[in-house]
Amino acid sequence: MRKLTVARVSQLLFLLLFLFLFVLTEYRGKDEISFAVNSFFRGNPLVLAAYVLAAKSFTWLLLPAVLVLFSTLLLGRFFCGWICPLGTLLDLAAKRIRKTAPVRYFKGNFKYWLLFPLLSASLFNINLAGIFDPIAVLTRALTFFFYPLLGDTIRQGWVGLYGIMGDKRDVLAPAYGIVRDYLLPFRETFYPLAFMSALFLLVILFLERYETRNWCRNICPLGTLLGLAGRFSLFKRIPDRLCPDCQACGQLCPTAFDREILQQQDCIRCMECSLKCTFSRAAFRFAPLAADRQPYFPERRIFIGSLLSGFLLVRLFRFRTPDAQARLLRPPGVRDEEEFLKTCVRCGECMKVCLKNALYPAVLNAGAAGVFTPVMIPRLGYCEYNCTLCGQVCPTGAIPNLPPQQKRMEVIGKAVLDKNRCLPFAKKTNCIVCEEHCPIPKKAIRFEEVMEADMSGKQVSLKKPYVVDELCNGCGICEYICPVDGKAGIEITATGERTPLENGYFQGAEP
Amino acid sequence: MNRRTFLKFLGMTSLFYHRMLRDAAATERPLLAAAEGKDYSAITRNAIRAIGGMGKFVRKGDLVVVKPNIGWDRTPEQAANTHPLVVRAIVEECLRAGAGKVKVFDRTCNDERRCYVNSGISAALKELKNVEVKYIENERFRKVAINGTVLKEWELYGEALTANVFINVPIAKHHGLTGVSLGIKNIMGVMGGNRGKIHRNIGPALADINGALKSRLVVIDATRILTGHGPQGGDLRDVRIVNKVIASADIVAADAYATTLFGLKPADISTTVAAYRKGLGEMDLGKVRILKV
Repeated sequence: MRKLTVARVSQLLFLLLFLFLFVLTEYRGKDEISFAVNSFFRGNPLVLAAYVLAAKSFTWLLLPAVLVLFSTLLLGRFFCGWICPLGTLLDLAAKRIRKTAPVRYFKGNFKYWLLFPLLSASLFNINLAGIFDPIAVLTRALTFFFYPLLGDTIRQGWVGLYGIMGDKRDVLAPAYGIVRDYLLPFRETFYPLAFMSALFLLVILFLERYETRNWCRNICPLGTLLGLAGRFSLFKRIPDRLCPDCQACGQLCPTAFDREILQQQDCIRCMECSLKCTFSRAAFRFAPLAADRQPYFPERRIFIGSLLSGFLLVRLFRFRTPDAQARLLRPPGVRDEEEFLKTCVRCGECMKVCLKNALYPAVLNAGAAGVFTPVMIPRLGYCEYNCTLCGQVCPTGAIPNLPPQQKRMEVIGKAVLDKNRCLPFAKKTNCIVCEEHCPIPKKAIRFEEVMEADMSGKQVSLKKPYVVDELCNGCGICEYICPVDGKAGIEITATGERTPLENGYFQGAEP
Repeated sequence: MNRRTFLKFLGMTSLFYHRMLRDAAATERPLLAAAEGKDYSAITRNAIRAIGGMGKFVRKGDLVVVKPNIGWDRTPEQAANTHPLVVRAIVEECLRAGAGKVKVFDRTCNDERRCYVNSGISAALKELKNVEVKYIENERFRKVAINGTVLKEWELYGEALTANVFINVPIAKHHGLTGVSLGIKNIMGVMGGNRGKIHRNIGPALADINGALKSRLVVIDATRILTGHGPQGGDLRDVRIVNKVIASADIVAADAYATTLFGLKPADISTTVAAYRKGLGEMDLGKVRILKV
């Protein structure tokens, strides 16, 4: 166990904070969530860079990221050594993993070949940064895999206990209630890409066997970006190379001394070297004008290559099947698909917080370029009428944070009846469960009463539903609740125009 | 006629005049109380007291289930859920009558957490001792033989089945399919499975379920009623303040009486008619002893 340094304490506190905020990103009895894991994205300069390049505008939501970037300019890449929860996880795991030799392939300009194409893709209007952002990688692995796994395991245990104890289990109910209310996800949900998301994190951990902080120094696009900013740091480590007589820094340093000269952009300011230097030589000094011996930017061809590959990434992976397109339902308040692809970080928070688990990461339904973006699957969960949580936790406002009365009018899609399945049409039996559940005060699903001959020729009164488009916000509760087995008799279909419902219709005037 | 011949006569009539005897034995004309007033806790208590008090239904140490309608993510004034004050008054009456434990739950339609919070029911019962406001847990549903007219078996909620007393506390509101939603319909909150399926034959199906799980006491919250766009509502213009609470041990009578508040006839409500036919109670209000308090 390494000695507890200030940096170490800070790391652990931020990891705890991250986990704490992650657990808080859930409905816990209040309409508003005051603290959520989105803080880690709002303070994330990679999210900021990708947002600014893609949206070609700025949002005040990302002000903390500006501050982090500014501090990095002053202090260097401290984020990675003091804050980043993924880095902390790697540090915790690192000691237990025996190292072989570094992977040659990752050396050189590999990390720039990752960062710049991602940023260039943003410039060409698709924000892919989140796919490789370390905080997003961690959040997704937790959201889609580890947290549901925890929830499901404990819940299954609780159910199993009922099998053994029956109603006697009630004595344990208060304890379980606390765990359920404050720690666990409320529902057991399984996500597509759960395996992928977990694998991503595990591969990053696996890379630790080649080199300490392998991901951080050779791959991580956020780290690379911070490294570029950190080159301007006013504080420089001296000496800037290994001392010939000692060379201990080569072993101590987790990121920056894989060569004889300190790699300024990789130094994560963990201070291990200065704390452990037997000769008290290593130190971080205020040296604003100290010459940096290495070229600031990597080769020019990386820029040109990245610009091109970003452009190609954006253009080549946009194919969507019409079927998928018709069911591409975005969270409430997202009006424009293009804008959404520019601003969504794919962090998975909306999907984590969604009350009824209506949102799932897109696999290929939004095209390969839309992987991990949120899509509503109404048959699995609907958008709760009065809930605004996804907009509240979205770090970039890709899903706008709307007051409830506005959110209710935002159109996700439109309900469409399938008369081949809908019971009153297809089976001549009454049903109307969709109308019953429709939350619109004036009912977007209505019915007409018709006398018809049933199968035996007897005249029966049938209530046949129809949809009033002017009132339907596509919340999907009708599709969710439709009692027809398998495919529902009513489904939400994406609409080209996601214009919100008009107040007049909504408030009462008959359409 | 001396006493002996009278008794003989009476014995003979029992052979031929079942009905007469049943009617004679029925001081048992079903009893129903409709309390009116603006203090919802008080009128709830008054209604229960008028039909004999909670002690008539709950014995010392009983495990009681109070089943309000908490189905929707709506506020009390929107009249989609049972009023929290009515629920609380009933729970308190149960405790006063000596109930060992009172459980309150509903299988909600919207997210249960939001329903329990925004209906005001969680908060209303928060600090009461020996009261559990709990979410439905799927493992507690049990397949029960119904052997009814349309349902052979269905999953019902274990905690409702094992309770000594089941008290049904609906809110009176409009419903697209059944016209009104009252006590007979409120039983859907303890049904498991794909309960939307019973909508194709809802009257008889609900009568079957009510036959299998009897409500010892029905208290209908008509403090405000939802007159349109039910059962969710959401528009305050559909809400009418009636300031009434109806209590009866006869679920059909209670429903029948509440139906009249909507200006409808009990005979037009399929659930009421089906339950009456099944012998679950009296739908002819002329044969019900109605106490207005």
